[in-house]
Amino acid sequence: MAGDVILSVDHLVKSFRIHQQKTNSLKQLIAARGRNRFEEFIAVNDVTFDVREGEVFGIIGQNGSGKSTLLKCMAGILQPNSGTVNVYRRMGALLELGAGFHPELTGRENIFLNAAILGMGRREISGRFDEIVDFSGLHTFIDQPVKTYSSGMYVRLAFAVAINVDPQLLIVDEILAVGDVSFQRRCLEKFVEFRNEGRTIVLVTHDMGSIKNLCDRAIWLEHGTVIDAGDPADLVEAYTERMLGADAPTSDGSVRRGSGEIKISEVEMFVNGSATAVKRCRTSDSIVLRLHYVASKTIPQPVIGFEIESLGGATVTAPNTRDVGAVPPTMAGTGTIDVALPRVDLLPGTYDLHTSITDFNRAHIYDHVRLAMRFDVMTGKPYETGGLVTMRPQWSMS
Amino acid sequence: MSLRTAMSHRNLLYLLSLKELRTRYKKSVLGWAWSLLNPISQMLIFTVIFTYVFVAQPSPGDPSGLRNFPLYFLCGLLPWNFFAITTSVAMGNVQGNTGLIKKVSFPHEHLVFAVVAAQFVTLLIETLILVIAMLLAGQNVLVWLPVLLPLYVLWGLFTTGVALALSAFNVFFHDVQYLWGILSQILFYATPVIYFTAALPAVPVGRALKAVATFGPTGAFITAFQNVLYDGRFPSGSKIAYLAVLAAASFALGAWIFSKLSPHFAEEM
Repeated sequence: MAGDVILSVDHLVKSFRIHQQKTNSLKQLIAARGRNRFEEFIAVNDVTFDVREGEVFGIIGQNGSGKSTLLKCMAGILQPNSGTVNVYRRMGALLELGAGFHPELTGRENIFLNAAILGMGRREISGRFDEIVDFSGLHTFIDQPVKTYSSGMYVRLAFAVAINVDPQLLIVDEILAVGDVSFQRRCLEKFVEFRNEGRTIVLVTHDMGSIKNLCDRAIWLEHGTVIDAGDPADLVEAYTERMLGADAPTSDGSVRRGSGEIKISEVEMFVNGSATAVKRCRTSDSIVLRLHYVASKTIPQPVIGFEIESLGGATVTAPNTRDVGAVPPTMAGTGTIDVALPRVDLLPGTYDLHTSITDFNRAHIYDHVRLAMRFDVMTGKPYETGGLVTMRPQWSMS
Repeated sequence: MSLRTAMSHRNLLYLLSLKELRTRYKKSVLGWAWSLLNPISQMLIFTVIFTYVFVAQPSPGDPSGLRNFPLYFLCGLLPWNFFAITTSVAMGNVQGNTGLIKKVSFPHEHLVFAVVAAQFVTLLIETLILVIAMLLAGQNVLVWLPVLLPLYVLWGLFTTGVALALSAFNVFFHDVQYLWGILSQILFYATPVIYFTAALPAVPVGRALKAVATFGPTGAFITAFQNVLYDGRFPSGSKIAYLAVLAAASFALGAWIFSKLSPHFAEEM
């Protein structure tokens, strides 16, 4: 799949001068004379990587890790201090949607102007005009000034133009986070289409899902240097743990994070009314999950939840007490929470259980345990060869 | 940016110029009439001042024999306004597209070229009105248009060079635009737009002013336009050569400065 090198970044260094007082006027310059104090801030430090044709290449890293600076150097907006960027195909860079839209001009006029800014010729734009309007879905508004558009419409039009510029190499900075869900899905579909056509995409995003699902390779930037590169799934895993401040994995392989005022200390599973805790069940068994908690102080309105994930990483179910209106006013001390699952329709396989306790807004995490328990589902009735759950199909022929 | 990228983006230049023209008078009732009202009001002010306040006689056109203050003013005022407005709007246009420069890679000089192109169209329209007025005054300027237009093109090149240099410097030091506001005022009076070089008194200051008005870059251009339109005669061959050199030098220097500074725009803005 991966072909020739289409973009190579070689020992790229980009630093900025941080002036204590920025001299943007002659007076300041003259007054400061040689004493113009500044600090050198190295945003990108000796970064080297190649992107090959047909790849989707991800770049992850915290805010301020140098991702955007790197992208701007790649796009030719910033000049590197040393090192080189070589681009061997037509490149399109989407660093901000709708940069260059003029509010007084109509959607139609802006399509032409924006596409020209992105480097398209007049005939080329005319040829793609209908496609652009179709993608944006703004047929009725296309002759209205853009200033009358809602922000969602604005973004849709901008993306429609940008995606139709038809580059062999597309550089995208964090623009998947805009628009509503259906539009985001269309953007993703367009990216997948791009990839399937053998085009190359360099993607910077905080959405780890798209890095995992879309990318073939990724690099992880921290303080301007590449600290890890390779398989996106591994990178995302490591990155997520680092970002969320995960503790070291405990002896049983579970990973705990959160502020810890209340914790799930243990999870037990009981099958079909038995009093013995087990780690296996059969399809359509009735089970009870018992979560043991320890609270070091009184916690108001804690939301308790768990998640069952297949080994392949698919979330099968993720219920919590808030969704069903079962949040207790407070919790304190130690105790247990029983969750009865009258009929488990999971198909045979191995599943992981994660638990969580958060505040009522689900913003603050008291405790989150990945791999609180791993359990197996054995063959029961019904049995199906594929899928994760059974819907208990009733077949009838006529 | 190389000439090749500039060429590959010529469509951008066309559309940016169109945007300049289209958006300039949006939301104004009189629209394009404003672009004519400005020089007309200036002409009326100068006419009133020189006819009733500082009473002066217009010098006759040589060899046309035309004696007409308002028409004389317009011959110099229209190209002068093109120069003054283009240079200041170009600085604003580069500064005003900070968002674009920081986010998109494109030939920045097109932001300046677009202003020049739009202002040049305006100049042509205004000149058309002037030509009609001249014809009404009995001066057959139509035969001089083939001479005027190439001179206008040289003036456009000269202006572009100045605009490129100023708008590049202005990104680094915003003082440039304010300084230029003052300098262009001084330059206006050092250019024979509202006076006749022939009528300058033969005292040292008058002689100095006469030299500047004749050989200073803006003066040389403006007097050439007056030669063609008001006097109805060819500027001398040496003068045309001088203007061509001025235009080429200004454009080359401006383009060089701009190309050296524009890669650092995104960082500096």
